[in-house]
Amino acid sequence: MTEAVTNTGGDWLRLIVGLILVLIFSQLNALFLVWLERKVAGHIQLRYGPMEVGPHGLLQTIVDGIKLVGKELITPFKADKKLFVIAPVLVFMPVLVPFLVLPFGPELIIRDMNVGLLLIFAFSTFSVLAILVGGWASNNKYALLGAIRSVAQNVAYEIPLLLSVMSVVLMVHSFKFSELVMAQQRIWFIFLQPVAAIIYFICATAETNRAPFDIPEAESELVAGFHTEYSGMRFGLFFLAEYTNMFIVCAVATSLFLGGWHGPFGFSLGIPGVVWFLAKTYFLLFVLMWFRWTFPRVRFDQLMNFSWKVLIPLSMLNLLVTALVLKFV
Amino acid sequence: MTAVYIPALIYLAVTMGVMAVILFLSARIGRRRVTREKMLPYECGMDPLGTLEIHFPIKFYVVAMIFIIFDIETVFLYPWAVVFRDLGWFGFVEMLLFTAVILIGLVYLFRKGALEWE
Amino acid sequence: MSVVEALYQCSGLLAVLILFATGVLILLLDAFSPLGRKGRLGGVAVAGTAAALFAAWQSESPGEPLFFEMVVWDRYALFVTSVILLGALLVLLLSLEGRRRDGAGTGEYYALVLFAATGMVLMAQAVHFIMIFLGLEILSISVYVLVGLPRHERRANEAALKYVLLGGFASGFFLYGLTFLYGATGSLSMTAMASYLGTGERVFNSYLLLGTALVLAGFAFKLALVPFHLWTPDVYEGAPTPITAYMAVGVKAAVLAALVRTFREALPAVVPHWTTALWILAAVTMTVGNVMALVQQSVKRMLAYSSIAHAGYLMVAVVAGTPSGVTALLVYLLAYTVMNVGAFGVMVVGQKERDGGELLQDFEGLGFRCPLVGAAMALFLFSLAGIPPTAGFLGKLLVFSAAVEAGYTWLVILAVINSVVAAYYYLRVVIAIYRRSEAAEAGPEPAIRLSGGERAALILAGLLTVGVGVLPQGFWEMARRAVLALG
Repeated sequence: MTEAVTNTGGDWLRLIVGLILVLIFSQLNALFLVWLERKVAGHIQLRYGPMEVGPHGLLQTIVDGIKLVGKELITPFKADKKLFVIAPVLVFMPVLVPFLVLPFGPELIIRDMNVGLLLIFAFSTFSVLAILVGGWASNNKYALLGAIRSVAQNVAYEIPLLLSVMSVVLMVHSFKFSELVMAQQRIWFIFLQPVAAIIYFICATAETNRAPFDIPEAESELVAGFHTEYSGMRFGLFFLAEYTNMFIVCAVATSLFLGGWHGPFGFSLGIPGVVWFLAKTYFLLFVLMWFRWTFPRVRFDQLMNFSWKVLIPLSMLNLLVTALVLKFV
Repeated sequence: MTAVYIPALIYLAVTMGVMAVILFLSARIGRRRVTREKMLPYECGMDPLGTLEIHFPIKFYVVAMIFIIFDIETVFLYPWAVVFRDLGWFGFVEMLLFTAVILIGLVYLFRKGALEWE
Repeated sequence: MSVVEALYQCSGLLAVLILFATGVLILLLDAFSPLGRKGRLGGVAVAGTAAALFAAWQSESPGEPLFFEMVVWDRYALFVTSVILLGALLVLLLSLEGRRRDGAGTGEYYALVLFAATGMVLMAQAVHFIMIFLGLEILSISVYVLVGLPRHERRANEAALKYVLLGGFASGFFLYGLTFLYGATGSLSMTAMASYLGTGERVFNSYLLLGTALVLAGFAFKLALVPFHLWTPDVYEGAPTPITAYMAVGVKAAVLAALVRTFREALPAVVPHWTTALWILAAVTMTVGNVMALVQQSVKRMLAYSSIAHAGYLMVAVVAGTPSGVTALLVYLLAYTVMNVGAFGVMVVGQKERDGGELLQDFEGLGFRCPLVGAAMALFLFSLAGIPPTAGFLGKLLVFSAAVEAGYTWLVILAVINSVVAAYYYLRVVIAIYRRSEAAEAGPEPAIRLSGGERAALILAGLLTVGVGVLPQGFWEMARRAVLALG
């Protein structure tokens, strides 16, 4: 994400440079986030976290990654071979597409599509499918339970997620990220749509299967949930996809509710837009980790009830109120 | 027009390629030793009990069906949100009715206990 | 379209809106009322249907397309809507007591009956194929559920499953046909289609013919015409009896209305190419229906086959296709609705007393145990057989004479032979009603107690059966004016 990608270059050049940068960025980001997660966890629990490899253990995850590549790929005897192999591919395949439309800065959008937001939601729902396929194919009770729960949960939290985002779309009349962000030059949408912002963030936490909504994995009861039987880089792909997805939902939250590349209330303080954007995104990522190490896991019935009985009606009402207010303004 | 979406396909293809390389490397570097214990379903080290032909509570299916209704609702709402201003009051009232009908459905499900997990 | 204009156009959809609103209201009342008070929901449903019928008669029928040329409110729609709502009203009245006894699923039952009526009325009003399809789906899905509502009865489960699977196929056929029609004509609006097809030079377009065939197959399935009738006996037998009546009359009226409107307003250029096929369809349908009805032991199953045969007679009127043919069709629909719901209504009454209560011997001595019910059943069966001076006779007379006028003499001869055959199995039941059963000779059987709703339904149906037969002038005039509204 450097200044190399400018508007003057041809569309294809932009696309290819963007692709290379995205590939590098997504890998580095995942490695960094894993390290960050361990550090945050460590400090919250009054310990240091990784310290040995590199300064403050910064290179720890790289070493872990290399080790993971060298691990054996186990395919259990009775697993459905084809589906078992496909699942990690399916989960990782769509994670890079959203980077196409994410607005890192005023000029730093690889392709500012008119369906930008829809594209992201369309591709991010793939992960449920992958989880179901993986859990189903594993021929393992824990994996199957995790997968089924995961589908129920993802399905329940997808609706309020979409509805809450819609109230922002309603204000801007566009799915284009550049327009969504430009509309927030003066005032961030979190101040105009606080309910939608909160609902979005809760649902995003649930959609990425993060604690306190980590029912699908639930280490203490389901071993490792849907990826119990996965080893080596197949497991690694699930892992990479999870952390990349975290980045994507936080980046979307940043551009929809926190003003994207804009500083607060139109003051950019001389800091470039991309720095604002990444700072806000990583702050949200930090909050996600904070959640994980602070809140206990939600019970399954509470989880479902919360979505169907609270979030969905609330987000619908929020949408209608937004529409009504817009009619009178 | 469709050319706009080709980048998405390219990204998908490249991601597939990267994954292929990663998995290929992993398969080449990693050892392979097949033992019976390793290849059994993992159940905390014990021999696996029973089969996987479990009956899941019907709730999960009910939730899946309800989800389809609400998902379709959002599908209808999305284009509406974009052209909201052009539709005027007519569009607003119409969507209000549509949403009201769906909400009544939710209230009905709520009261009938379709959303109870206890 | 402005809000005011939309509100104004709503006056053309008043019946649909009232039915739908009542359905939703019942769902909510059901969700919020305690179990013991669900009996009142039936009253709400009856009131809603009656209000819709009243509103339909009050709202003027300008005959202009409404809501972006999707629906129309003309005299034709008014006539069919009245028939449908009359059928729904009778069915609801017949259901009241059974529902009060069963308790569970009461709210859903009434709501679904009303939703199905909504779909039916929409089909009668539709002038756009998407609207027809929506109406068809609204009514089909509601009826699928209604059939399977007695969840612990095996027959009902089987019937619902068969119906939903085959009905899904039929809807698929219909929709697939629509895609071909859209491809061939560039529109799904009936007027646009008709003006594109013009005088018919473009008719020899394979897409158009294929599309018409598929649409026809979809309609034929819902009408239970013969090659598409295989689901009918099982589904009619397995469904709760009031719902069987509803399927036999309401669904058929709505689908026939849409079929006739399709032929006359959208595809007049194509119809001549289909006359032979329709001729065969009508002939086979009535013959197979009647022959199969002859050998049934269960009266319910017999009535199921008889409704197939009646679909055949109705198709004779469609084959004729002339204005007088369509007039005859509408009068026949009215007659068929009252007499058929009446016959099923008597069966509902009979089933209260005995488990099953569908076999011929269950009807033995009915005329002595309850003279009113026995006489009513005899009347409905006479009418179904087409014996004067009943509604059934008048309907047949009008249909057959219209067909002869249009030059389909052989088809009419076949239909008359069929009617004679049919008289045998109808009269067999009448004889059973007035024969003393063996049980009665052993000792007097208890008299049948009629509930208010059942009494009202049977009397209303009986009066109309006689009324349409004896004083046909008003009904015929109404149907004639309804046909004038068609293109």
